Order: sequence, then C-alpha cells, then structure tokens
Amino acid sequence: MPKAIEVNNLKKSFGELQAVQGVSFSAEAGEVLSLLGPNGAGKSTTISMLSGLLAPSDGDASIMGHSISREPLLAKSALGVVPQDIALYPDLSARENLDFWGKMYGLRGGALKTRVGEVLEIIGLSDRQKDKVGTFSGGMKRRVNIGAALLHKPKVIIMDEPTVGIDPQSRRHILDNVKLLNSQGMTVLYTTHYMEEAEELSNHIAIMDKGKIVAMGTYRELIQLVGGQTRIDLSVNIEKERIIPAWKTVEGVSQIDSTNGTISAIVTDSNLVLPKLFETAAKLNARITSVEIKEPNLETVFMHLTGKALRD
Amino acid sequence: MRIFDLTLKDLTQILRDKKSLLFLVAMPIVFTLFMGFAYRGNSSDENADTRIPLAVVDPEPESRLNKMLLSRLDSSDTIRTVHLSEADAIESLRKSEVAGVLVIPVGFSEQAEAGKEAQLKLIAQASSSEGQSLYQLLRVPISQLMSAVEIAQISAENNANEFAPTIELAWSKWEVQSQRSLVRVEQAAAQETSDWAGGNPYNQASPGILVQFAIFGLVTSAQILVQERKSRTLQRLMTTAMRPWEIVAGHLLAMFTLTFLQTAMLVIFGQLVLSVNYFREPLGTLLVSVALGLWVASLGLLIGVVAKEEQQVILFSMIAMFLFSALGGTWFPLEAAGGAFAAIGKLLPSAWAMTGLQNILIRGLSLSSTLLPAGILFLYAVGFFGLAVWRFKKV
Ligand SMILES: Nc1ncnc2c1ncn2[C@@H]1O[C@H](COP(=O)(O)OP(=O)(O)OP(=O)(O)O)[C@@H](O)[C@H]1O
Ligand SMILES: [Mg+2]
Repeated sequence: MPKAIEVNNLKKSFGELQAVQGVSFSAEAGEVLSLLGPNGAGKSTTISMLSGLLAPSDGDASIMGHSISREPLLAKSALGVVPQDIALYPDLSARENLDFWGKMYGLRGGALKTRVGEVLEIIGLSDRQKDKVGTFSGGMKRRVNIGAALLHKPKVIIMDEPTVGIDPQSRRHILDNVKLLNSQGMTVLYTTHYMEEAEELSNHIAIMDKGKIVAMGTYRELIQLVGGQTRIDLSVNIEKERIIPAWKTVEGVSQIDSTNGTISAIVTDSNLVLPKLFETAAKLNARITSVEIKEPNLETVFMHLTGKALRD
Repeated sequence: MRIFDLTLKDLTQILRDKKSLLFLVAMPIVFTLFMGFAYRGNSSDENADTRIPLAVVDPEPESRLNKMLLSRLDSSDTIRTVHLSEADAIESLRKSEVAGVLVIPVGFSEQAEAGKEAQLKLIAQASSSEGQSLYQLLRVPISQLMSAVEIAQISAENNANEFAPTIELAWSKWEVQSQRSLVRVEQAAAQETSDWAGGNPYNQASPGILVQFAIFGLVTSAQILVQERKSRTLQRLMTTAMRPWEIVAGHLLAMFTLTFLQTAMLVIFGQLVLSVNYFREPLGTLLVSVALGLWVASLGLLIGVVAKEEQQVILFSMIAMFLFSALGGTWFPLEAAGGAFAAIGKLLPSAWAMTGLQNILIRGLSLSSTLLPAGILFLYAVGFFGLAVWRFKKV
C-alpha cells in the first residue's frame, strides 16, 4: 500500500529566494498531517507543488503512489485542493459553483446532482444553495471553498489555512468537517499557523520555518523535544527592547522573544529562573506587570527550535 | 466534454451580466442604423457622377464609325461625354469643365473605311491625371474600332457588300470581349469610387458595424479570463484533472460562440430588416463569419492574457476596436482613403473580413471569392492564438 502523500526533498526557488529548501515528509492513508509554520514559512509553496500548480525546482512528491511530475493527471484526480484564497465564481450561486467544479472533476448527471446535494449538507449550506457566492460572509465562502474540493471524493485532501480570518462559528464548523472527512477515510494535509488547530486535528505535525521542516512527529513527541522546559509570558512597564537583552543573559533562559505586548521566555525551571528575572528587572527600574507560567505546548516547541514566537 | 462545461460556464457568466446584452446586441443594432443614415445623408455626393468628363466634337453624327464609337463612349462607366461644337469644347476645356476634347475630323468615317489615313484628335490637359487617364481610356476603343475596320476591309476585298455586316460583327465581338475581360476590375473600381455602397447604404454600414462590434464584444467576453485569474479559479482549474490546453480551448470556444452568435444576429438583422443581401451567398457569409469569430476569439484570448485588470480589458478591447475598425475600413471603404493608409489597412484581418463580406454584398462575387479572405482570417487567428498561448505560458 503506497503512502497517501510522499514528499521527497522538494525544493523551490523564486530567483534568489529559496522558498522551500529540501522538504521531505509523508502521510499514511487515513491520517491528518498538519504543516504548522509562521507566515512565509513556505507552506503554500509546498502545497502548490503538490497540487501541480508550481513545478518543483528539485525533488519529487507522489499522491497515492502517483508522481506529481510523471503522472500529474492521476495524482490530481486522487487529490482535492482547498486553496488558501477563496477560488470561486462570485456571480454564480453556491450550487452552480459546486456543479461546475464537480464537472471539472468528471462528474455528470444524476451522480453529480446527488453529490452536490451531499456536499451542501456537509458544509451546512443547503438552505443558501441558490444564493450567489458573492453575497456570502467570509466564513460561508470558506465553506463553499472546501466543498468544491470534496465533490469527487478524493482520497487525499489538502487544505491551505482554511480558517484564516473567519468567525468562531464557521471555524468550528470547518474543524468538525475535517474530522468528519478523516473519519470517512480521507487523508488530510492541513496547513495552519494556529497551533491549537494542529494540536486538535492531527495525528502527525510537521513544523516548518524558513523553507525547512524543523521538527516532525506526534504531538507528544514534539512536546518531549523541549525536555521539561517551561514557557513564561511576561509584561513589563518599560520598553521590551531594553529588558530582553538583560534577561537573555540570565542563567536558565534558553530562548527569549516577544510578540505583541508580551515577552516569552523558554526556561529550564521556572522556580529557579523567575526570581532572577525579577531581580534583573529591578536593576533596570522596571516593574513586571504580569507573569504567566505555561505548560509546554507547540508554541514552546517552535520557540525552542527557532528562537522565535509563532503566535500572531 | 469538460471543455464544453467550461465554455457553458463562461457563457452563463457573460450573459448574466446585463451590460453584455447592451454591448453585444443593442449597441451594434443602433450603430448600424445610425451609420446607415449617415451614409444615406451624404449619398447624394457619393452618387454624384465621378466619370471623367470628355467633350466630343462630332460634325457628322450620322456616319457609321462616328456612331459606333460614340455609342460606346456614351455608355461608358468611366467617361462622361458632352457633345459640343469645337469652339465651345475648347472653351470648356479652358474652364476645366471637361478634362479633354475629342475631335472627330470631317470625313473621318469615310476616309477610314476607304483605308485612307484618318486621325482622331485628343486635346487633353497633359498636366492633370484625368487628362492622362483619358488618353489611356480612349486608346482601347479607338484601336478596337480601327481593327474592326481592317477586318471589314479584308472581307470586302472581293465583295463590297460584305463590309457593313463584317464591321458590325467585329465591333460587337469587341464589345463582348471588352465586357468579359475587363468587367471585374472595372466594376469593382467603378462602383467603389462612384457608388461604393452598391445602391444600399447599409451594404457598408451593416458589415462594417458587424466587424467592429465583433471586436468590441471582447469588452465583456475577455473579462472572464481576467476574472478567472484574479479570483484564483484559474489556479483551481489547474489543480483539477483539466489539462492546460483544455482550459484554453474552453475559454476560446466561449468567446468564439459569443462572437459568432452576435455576427449571426447582425447578419439576420441586416438581411431581413435592412435588405443587405448576405443570403445571396449563404455559405460564403457563414465562412467569413466563422473565420472572423475565430480571429476575434483569439484576439480576446490575447487581451485576456495580457490584461491584468478588468479596466485594462476594456481599454485594450477599445484600442483594438478603433485600430482594426478605422484602419481596416469598417467605417469607410479603404478605396476612398487611398494611399499608404489603404495599403497598410488592407493587410489587417478586419479589412479581410470586410473584403470577404463585400465580395458578396457589393461586388456580387461568388463563394470562391470568400475563400482567400476567410483563409487569411484563419491564419491571423492561428497567429494571435499562438501569441496568446506563448504569453499565457510565461505567466
Ligand atoms: N510566486 C512567488 N514569487 C516570488 N516569491 C514567492 C512566490 N510565492 C511565494 N513566494 C515567497 O516564498 C516564501 C514562502 O511563501 P509561502 O506562501 O509558501 O508561505 P506560507 O507558509 O504559505 O505563508 P502564509 O502563512 O503567509 O500563507 C515567502 O517569502 C514568499 O514571499
Ligand atoms: Mg500560505
């Protein structure tokens, strides 16, 4: 039995920029594999190569055993792609859109009609099927965007950040859809920069940064990478830039970075390190306004591996 | 099959846009009517006699050769004769009322028949092109007349009674001959300069607007390609099992279908409402329409590939329309413009479409006369298509 997805040393350069620098991973049939990474990590570029939109600069990949470079049509037929941007016809209704994409995947007649009805049920838009997609909310468009990739019951589905910028309700709906599809036997490659989504959905997670996979494994395996280290989120009443260099030199701090208002530090033992952080702050006449000690999560893992915070 | 599904989707989108009906149906019909009125308005000018005026001094109108020559000249397409006395004729020439004076000397007919030297005299303005043309135009009938005389003389050598019937026969043969060999060129040239619309002002307006609006229709139909790219559905199409050439073919077919339907509508409108006789050669009309549709569709493909925004599609389509219409002779016949303008214009695909249609409508030619125009349009279609595919591959 071939692997559902097999990616082998895939590379892509845009001129000088090496967007994807030799990525390898694989997914067994029936699993959910998440590709987790910050903006610009190269997730979409990797997916574009898998779905036949970009020719790889080097390396190869296969879908259900069909090489994307040697048997592109077979690979594409086994694959449903949900692009990061909504790719639908706004002047056609939801049903007309699904109808059209079904035809593009070779469905016809009664089979097409039945399947479009099923997909409308799955994405929860049966009652709005006659309305033009252009009049839909962002979340509803995202659901149709997913629906269009499901019509031909693909063995493998690739979703590129399907929950970006939508309301919590639609997001919940989409995550439940992913679980449902997976329970029906579909292999899912799910890219996201939300670690909670990766944690909730995936059997395996590949963490990607700057065109490379920096770690890969089950959630547990990844957490173990940080080796019992803890993350502390702190806020201070002076500029972060003044205090970060000082804290960086404190013994027991392995990584430190800041996003938005907060400073995150990965530390070996919070009981030992925390008093030292307060001491250092006092020397700079800074007051710590909030402290939060967090159990290790994917965020901790990402920071541990890259020195950067993942959150947006 | 999937190609047709894509075509059908395009057509649904285009026709759902209310503007399309305005651009594809209402505007060309209104413009055809308007242009027809415009041509009719100044058709008194266009119908004016543009034959070259020639004064004829004919002191013996009853003698045989004089009669024969003048009956030919009086019915000429290219020369307009005015019968005057020699003094008046010279005066007319001086005032430039005529371009030349043909003097038939007294006793011309008699002397010529007797085999003696008899000379006609042409006084023309050597400096004017009309004067030059007169010399050329008169040379043919006069030399034909003289050779008819010679033939008659030969057959009258034994029997003088043979002279009259032979000269009549010879002369009438020349007449038929000259009509047969020269008729096409003369007719085409003559009608296009004097009454190029062939009697019906819509013979120019209808095919002209038809060609112009076939291009103008791209304003809406080529939008689809840009929308397809901007909405990222083109990318999505490429992730399905559609091959790239199928995607291109589907869009091309949509633009062709639309252009062809528009052309068919305008042909039927022209035929039934404006009495423009497209159905005189139905196959020829069909052939030119199909070739025109193919060329316009591939032009649309090129515009759709080059344009980045919907606004650019409108801009490029308008530029193409003005360029191909004005230079290609859809507004006025290229023959009327003349010079380098006409020489360049004649090479354009729009001009070939006009030539094809007007061969049927105005020049009264048959199906075979549309083969070359249609063939050239087809080659243009292939060329534009190649250009579009080449651009498409680059992006
Ligand atoms: N067509 C392109 N031409 C040039 N550079 C590109 C192109 N597509 C992507 N890139 C660059 O490649 C890098 C990776 O981009 P990519 O879209 O794969 O990231 P991503 O992980 O999907 O990010 P995001 O979360 O923002 O979607 C970025 O630096 C991006 O600017
Ligand atoms: Mg992306």
